[in-house]
Amino acid sequence: MSLIKLTGLEKIYQQGKIEVPALRGIDMEIESGEFTTIFGPSGSGKTTLLNMIGCLDKSTAGEIIFDGHSINDLDNKELAEVRRYNLGFVFQSYNLIPVLTAFENVEFAIRLIDKHSKKERKDKVMSLLEEVGLGDMAHRRPNELSGGQKQRVAIARALIKEPKLVLADEPTANLDSETSQEVLELMKEMNEELNTTFIFSTHDPQVMDYARRLIEIKDGKISKDQRRD
Amino acid sequence: MFFLRMAFKNLTRHKRRTIITALIIAFAILIYVMTDGLMLGMTEMSFDNIINLESGHLQVVDQNYWEDRKELPLKNLITPSAELEAEIKKTAGYVAMTKRLKFAVNLNNGIDELPVTGVGIDLGQDDKVFELQNYLVEGRMPEADSSEIIMGAKLAELMDFKTGDYAVMLIRTEEKTFNTIDGEIVGLFNTPHPSLNESNVFLPLSTAQDRLNTKGKISHYAVRLSDQNQALTAAEELSTRLEAPLQAYSWKDAAKSLVTMIEMQDIETQVVLAVILTLAAVGIINTVILSALERMEELGMMKALGMHEREIVYTFMGEAAGIGVIGGIMGIIMGIIGLSIFNINGIDISTITAGGDMTYGFPLSGTIYAGWEISSFIFVFIYGIIVSVLASIFPALWAARKDPVKAIYHR
Repeated sequence: MSLIKLTGLEKIYQQGKIEVPALRGIDMEIESGEFTTIFGPSGSGKTTLLNMIGCLDKSTAGEIIFDGHSINDLDNKELAEVRRYNLGFVFQSYNLIPVLTAFENVEFAIRLIDKHSKKERKDKVMSLLEEVGLGDMAHRRPNELSGGQKQRVAIARALIKEPKLVLADEPTANLDSETSQEVLELMKEMNEELNTTFIFSTHDPQVMDYARRLIEIKDGKISKDQRRD
Repeated sequence: MFFLRMAFKNLTRHKRRTIITALIIAFAILIYVMTDGLMLGMTEMSFDNIINLESGHLQVVDQNYWEDRKELPLKNLITPSAELEAEIKKTAGYVAMTKRLKFAVNLNNGIDELPVTGVGIDLGQDDKVFELQNYLVEGRMPEADSSEIIMGAKLAELMDFKTGDYAVMLIRTEEKTFNTIDGEIVGLFNTPHPSLNESNVFLPLSTAQDRLNTKGKISHYAVRLSDQNQALTAAEELSTRLEAPLQAYSWKDAAKSLVTMIEMQDIETQVVLAVILTLAAVGIINTVILSALERMEELGMMKALGMHEREIVYTFMGEAAGIGVIGGIMGIIMGIIGLSIFNINGIDISTITAGGDMTYGFPLSGTIYAGWEISSFIFVFIYGIIVSVLASIFPALWAARKDPVKAIYHR
């Protein structure tokens, strides 16, 4: 069974009296454990599609099945629940909480699901921070970390609750190529190790090189869907 | 707890803004603490003045007289008796008693005439209940059975009297006939009770009884107890032992209009506090909105991670509570310092009343000191926090309801 199934997905934004179509009928399935990149030019609808899959935005038409359940009719509270337990996000600008340490930023996500004891939580956060190479920087605040280190914290934050799916919107856009490569290696490693499904949006060719599946979006439609071994 | 800790950490993002907002709350608390302390001090001093100079702790009086007492009637007076005094002495906490006779006087200096209150006092006993003689600023107390009188220095100044002068007191006897007392002024007093200074003349009880022809009757017995807080129950208990129409009244009954006025003043103080804290609430609203706008992407991330609206609201409420706590602590410290400065030398009430006689209805004058009440501090501290938290709810809801996509991309 596929993790995500999109059928005839459409999204139209209303700008005053003008209707701006962002997605024009997307049909797509993503299997568990896939490492997929959605790419395309600016304004093609990548981020909109990612927001739909991430239960952050609602479609105008079509259906989204997540893990066997339709999410079309869920209200905001129910969508928040889906995100809380099943989804991880990595943002272009990291979006870490500046007053919290790296440890606390990662802990923040697991606190929301609150099914671990204090010790379990601490061990889990520390082990993940060590895995992303920040074991000795756990008590640093974001302003004491480099861009790559911040993105590693964001990845750890996305993975700490062992989500079914991690969505990353242009995760390397603010990083130099060497750091980008390190971050991508890390995500690929996590994908293989934890079998977590990753979907990226990007127009960075380096990111595309890492993907096992490439989906190209043009004018709100899938123009290419290519799997690589 | 994690979210509360995070909320408190958020307060360190813009320390200056946090301090300024907290200072507004602190200022509101300072004003309340100072006003309340001043009111409390004035209230305590006013009650002391009433007890020590006007009513004693208890008054035993004919209940028909009590209703008309402000008109200073010579009807429904009491005939003193050893039996009655023996009953009064049985009162719990009894210390002393004295007899007084109050009557209406027209004081004449040969040119002007002024209506004042005459008070016949039992010179051997009065100082055991009242403190009038402690406030003599000139001369001495009258001799027993003489026509000597004492009056307030203020009244003497007004009527152009000085010690050694004779004041003509026009009175009406119990039978409504006119009589006069040629009183030699042997002393002047200046008490902290302004109306006493301005409109009372004291003379020996026997002289007053004789000229008013009351046949040995008095207006009331004034009683001093060891503890003023016993007065209410002592009055009730004594009343049950007295024969009607006699009744015992506590100093609080005598100060009923003052008690009512103080209650009104308390409401006024609360209103002032509410108005100032409302202004502080505007500061809180402003701070929360600014914080939310600055942290929009972060809020979007929180929503993306599945944080519920109420959890975001709680975080902002936690921040507002933190500002309230900081403001509360600063306000209380400032209040304690302010009241301490106020209490080192006291404050001359004439500086508040611009040198005039007006004391806002309080029977006090001279130097006043503020009172302290821990419950006031606790009340205003908690009130400040509650106002801060309540003020944060609507802006926090506004922030929490932001569309996550718009928040993440700060659109």
